[in-house]
Amino acid sequence: MKIHLQTTDYGNFLANQTNPLTVSKIDTEMRKRLCGEFEYFRNHSLEPLSTFLTYMTCSYMIDNVILLMNGALQKKSVKEILGKCHPLGRFTEMEAVNIAETPSDLFNAILIETPLAPFFQDCMSENALDELNIELLRNKLYKSYLEAFYKFCKNHGDVTADVMCPILEFEADRRAFIITLNSFGTELSKEDRETLYPTFGKLYPEGLRLLAQAEDFDQMKNVADHYGVYKPLFEAVGGSGGKTLEDVFYEHEVQMNVLAFNRQFHYGVFYAYVKLKEQEMRNIVWIAECISQRHRTKINSYIPIL
Amino acid sequence: MAALDLRAELDSLLLQLLGDLEELEGKRAVLNARVEEGWLSLAKARYAMGTKSVGPLQYASHMEPQVCLQASEAQEGLQKFKVVRSGVHAPEDVGPREGALRRRKGPTKTPVPQSSDAPRDPLNWFGILVPHSLRQAQASFRDGLQLAADIASLQNRIDWGRSQLQGLQEKLKQLEPGAA
Repeated sequence: MKIHLQTTDYGNFLANQTNPLTVSKIDTEMRKRLCGEFEYFRNHSLEPLSTFLTYMTCSYMIDNVILLMNGALQKKSVKEILGKCHPLGRFTEMEAVNIAETPSDLFNAILIETPLAPFFQDCMSENALDELNIELLRNKLYKSYLEAFYKFCKNHGDVTADVMCPILEFEADRRAFIITLNSFGTELSKEDRETLYPTFGKLYPEGLRLLAQAEDFDQMKNVADHYGVYKPLFEAVGGSGGKTLEDVFYEHEVQMNVLAFNRQFHYGVFYAYVKLKEQEMRNIVWIAECISQRHRTKINSYIPIL
Repeated sequence: MAALDLRAELDSLLLQLLGDLEELEGKRAVLNARVEEGWLSLAKARYAMGTKSVGPLQYASHMEPQVCLQASEAQEGLQKFKVVRSGVHAPEDVGPREGALRRRKGPTKTPVPQSSDAPRDPLNWFGILVPHSLRQAQASFRDGLQLAADIASLQNRIDWGRSQLQGLQEKLKQLEPGAA
């Protein structure tokens, strides 16, 4: 596989890796490369593109913060986790995150200087950070981030809004569905679940209210059937290839991102580029895993980007 | 006469041994299938959640198993292994095989006297909202665990059977020259 990758744009990025080549190493190297390309964009950008690009990095920052906090919970060393953090989400106060005990601590002491500060409004609480609360924190942060990003794009107006707003709306709806699906059978209450849904998108507000009451996959499917876009997606779940809901959503996202390249002079191309690169990385990692687990038949169940 | 009895015993022992071997093969195949399924589901979960979210970062380096191995002595000094949840405090000593049973995403156990809270489900290491494939992986590995204990018992029985067989064959040899 290393040889095949050498013939593409990726070139010799794996050249310095010693054997054995694990899936995790491939993933890390690809991320570094993407980060390099992204930094290149950023260094050449002016306002408001640089704000747009900063918004894009916020989602990775949120993931890194949660990773660090989980690591603190598991009593792991900071250095170990820092190595695994997503490079696009790097910020200077990262090492200090593991000291925080409660979300307000986290905010006041550490994150107040980062772009994540405005997203903490709904998350301030004195509860200690255990698993349930970390998950809630992650989802609430992401919700505020998405809403802020959406508002930014909308205010920017013009082609960017035309292109980005549907993509972000789909992202919001997707999160609502996935949160609902994964919360079946866990200790997350329905009211808590409802607070995690982003307040925009096609599902807002009636769909979200219905989703909050759903208790199993079929009920969720009924809610989705009300919306023309989501009905065919849910029907494609299962089927012959054993597709999961996440697969179907990824496919739809890829389609929307590819369409973003059809318009000119808007910022959506940067977003679409990064997201499509991410999908490419996911595909490569999937293929690598299939090879290492000797499931050659499953290799083709990745999502092609045309 | 004694030789005839011995032969009959030998035959029945051989039949039982062959039956056990067949069962062992079957169980091994199922175990392999389960473990493969488990790893594939883990790969799918990594696809959905991101590669770094399902990996060695998520679990502490010091784990406590949720499931214990109970070794009991059946008749004729034969050891049987049973997989037991740690909530049930087993009076017999827990076998030293636990170390070998550790898996990356395997069950964890809490030492019963120590902690007051219920044993933590290892699924929660990866967050509260985990994708379906991760739950499937856990189910596959759990089934595999049960099978592993059965396989260990079976293998013990087979070894015991073989040694019995050898003993009987020697006795027969001793009797034969005498009878002839």
